[in-house]
Amino acid sequence: MPDKDVAPPPATPAAAPAVLERGAPPTPGGLWGALIRYQAIVVPVVGLVVAFVVGALLIRQQGVNPTYAYKTLFQSALFTRDGLNQTLQRTTPLIFTGLAVAVPLRVGLFNIGAQGQFIFGALAAAVVGYKLHSAPGIVIILVALLCGLLAGAMWASIAGFLKTSRGVHEVISTIMLNSIAVNIIDYLINNPFKEKGQAIPRTPQIAPQAFLNDMGIVPIGFPIAVILAVGTAWMLRRTTLGFQFETVGRNKAAAGYAGIKINKMILLAMALAGAFAGLAGGIETLGDIHRYESGFNANLGFDGITIALLARSNPVATIPAAFLVGALRAGASALQFDTGIQPEVVDMLLAITLLFVSLPLVAKLIFRRYAAKGSALTSGWGS
Amino acid sequence: MKAMRYLALTPIAALALAGCGGSTGNSNTSGSSSAASGDCSKPDVFCVGLVTDTGKIDDKSFNQSAWEGVEAGGKATGAQVKDIETVSTNDYATNIKQFTDKKYDVIVTVGFLMADATVKAAAQYPDTKFIGVDQFIDTSKVKSPNLTGLSFNEDQAGYAAGYLAGLMTKTNKIGDVLGQEIPPVQKYDKGYKAGALAANPKVKVTSVYHPAGDNAFQDPVWGAGEAKKQLAQGVDIVFGAGGSTGNGAIQETAKASGAGKTVFCIGVDVDQWDSVPAAQPCLITSAEKHLSQGVTDLIKQAKDGSIKGGNFIGTAGVSPYHAFDSSVPADVKTKVADVVAKLANGSLKTGVTL
Repeated sequence: MPDKDVAPPPATPAAAPAVLERGAPPTPGGLWGALIRYQAIVVPVVGLVVAFVVGALLIRQQGVNPTYAYKTLFQSALFTRDGLNQTLQRTTPLIFTGLAVAVPLRVGLFNIGAQGQFIFGALAAAVVGYKLHSAPGIVIILVALLCGLLAGAMWASIAGFLKTSRGVHEVISTIMLNSIAVNIIDYLINNPFKEKGQAIPRTPQIAPQAFLNDMGIVPIGFPIAVILAVGTAWMLRRTTLGFQFETVGRNKAAAGYAGIKINKMILLAMALAGAFAGLAGGIETLGDIHRYESGFNANLGFDGITIALLARSNPVATIPAAFLVGALRAGASALQFDTGIQPEVVDMLLAITLLFVSLPLVAKLIFRRYAAKGSALTSGWGS
Repeated sequence: MKAMRYLALTPIAALALAGCGGSTGNSNTSGSSSAASGDCSKPDVFCVGLVTDTGKIDDKSFNQSAWEGVEAGGKATGAQVKDIETVSTNDYATNIKQFTDKKYDVIVTVGFLMADATVKAAAQYPDTKFIGVDQFIDTSKVKSPNLTGLSFNEDQAGYAAGYLAGLMTKTNKIGDVLGQEIPPVQKYDKGYKAGALAANPKVKVTSVYHPAGDNAFQDPVWGAGEAKKQLAQGVDIVFGAGGSTGNGAIQETAKASGAGKTVFCIGVDVDQWDSVPAAQPCLITSAEKHLSQGVTDLIKQAKDGSIKGGNFIGTAGVSPYHAFDSSVPADVKTKVADVVAKLANGSLKTGVTL
């Protein structure tokens, strides 16, 4: 397990390669074996603990008791009615954008473009939501979500198409497509879709009957996100398509030799990713913002990268990962109010956690053949 | 295996240490706000909270000006004041709620992007007074009596700046470089022209709006290019009004030969001497909305109960001359001050209509 590269004591490095060099290693017993087996959980948890310790030291530096600060943060995010609602509200789109990054990772593609796909979905849903203002709510909701989903899928498919037809690396193309999306959308909300008589470039508000309201404290999008995450895990594990995805992700040559149409898988995976991100945008528009206004969806797509890496591209694990990020963001406001700690501390906590989670990932990219099986991450690099 | 255990245990131990050691740091009222923490729900404790637009409280722009207004208003009314900084636009409602939860009497929200969130909060918390800085309330739709939008007549600030420019120009050519062609910017432009002509009938004003809508306020390169063009045409005073685009124009002017001697620039919205130091070589003044003053006035009104819902129009004028105080002739200063005073008391109209 590559984690030991970051651990100071020199006792183990010799042992690990010896185990892993033999290909499928007989899992050692005892605690070490358990840690290897559950490394997908162990690594993020260790990262999280380290992040909170560093955070505690910095909070202490500012003259605030870290225990009190963390208590405030989580109490307001989890143990108040409004706080929990806020947390779930923020968790919902993050599950989707997490999936939008996690699924392509399984096929060996690194989708940096969730943000662009997300905002296209959000805009599409907003436009449907106000153009169809006289239709019944349920019709608007379904059409808006479908259009959001398709808009995201189409935008992501551009990157998929560039990859399969011209060999353009998806990291490059999706990054660029993010910027292109922002500018196209800026044009659209300044011109054809602009709210009349309004200085701010934004669309009119969607029809009120199409608002996705909360069920108690749970936003309607949340159960949808959970179901889709579980469904995606099932798809990857139990269906032919999932098997083909995984095979392409683990070994492209073998997949091709086995007769899997690699290009088709790449196109499908990107379209699926875009659909997740676009649907997230649609739900966010209908459930929270109720129009498209630039700036209001900032970073949800980029946070998806954080979530997918925290979840180690396991679809079900995106749920707790998104919940963690959602809770931290929801609690940041109270943290600032009660302690004066800058809310950016939350981003720092996440960044440190992510750094830790990614370190083994880096190691895996270097020592590819020693990497633990069952965690196909970015075999797409360099191909 | 041992390594893993160490790795896991070390931080936990450190966390415990940090936690235990921190027992002295019980500073739940620290941070950038200063006041002691009284119970705002009591009628005799007057509390004013400020929610920034995305950005810091010391941004040398709207957030800071509004906060200075809150501090001054707090001092005048004996209020307890506190601020919360917004990181993401998604947090507007949550941040407002921090104050309503604690029963603050007055909540100041900064920036037009927060207008929707402020309107919603005002409807939800009718007992709290809301002051929306730079938010124009559409009184035909929004009826909340506890919501006051503080806005400004940009044409007055533009007029005062144009008046100064008209008196200062040697070439009788002045220019402005503008952001998007939307009402507030148009008002600056037209006010500037009207003021310049009132001061100097021979003056010619070259003005240019950013052509694209998407990045009209974030295009300093374009702004710099237009300023350069105008300077080449003999313009000797450039007024930049349009976010970073305008800042690009005045920064370019600061680099021109003769900057600060024969060539000057004018900033916008706030005193840009502090917010755009790169423009200092030419920055003779700024067409300024008196944001702090407006906020302070409204807080005083909220305290004595005279505040009204709807729109409150703050005063506008020009900023201090700073390093150019000696370069501006005394009679020019007098005339400009006179114009600003007349605009404020309504005896002088800019004549600007959109």
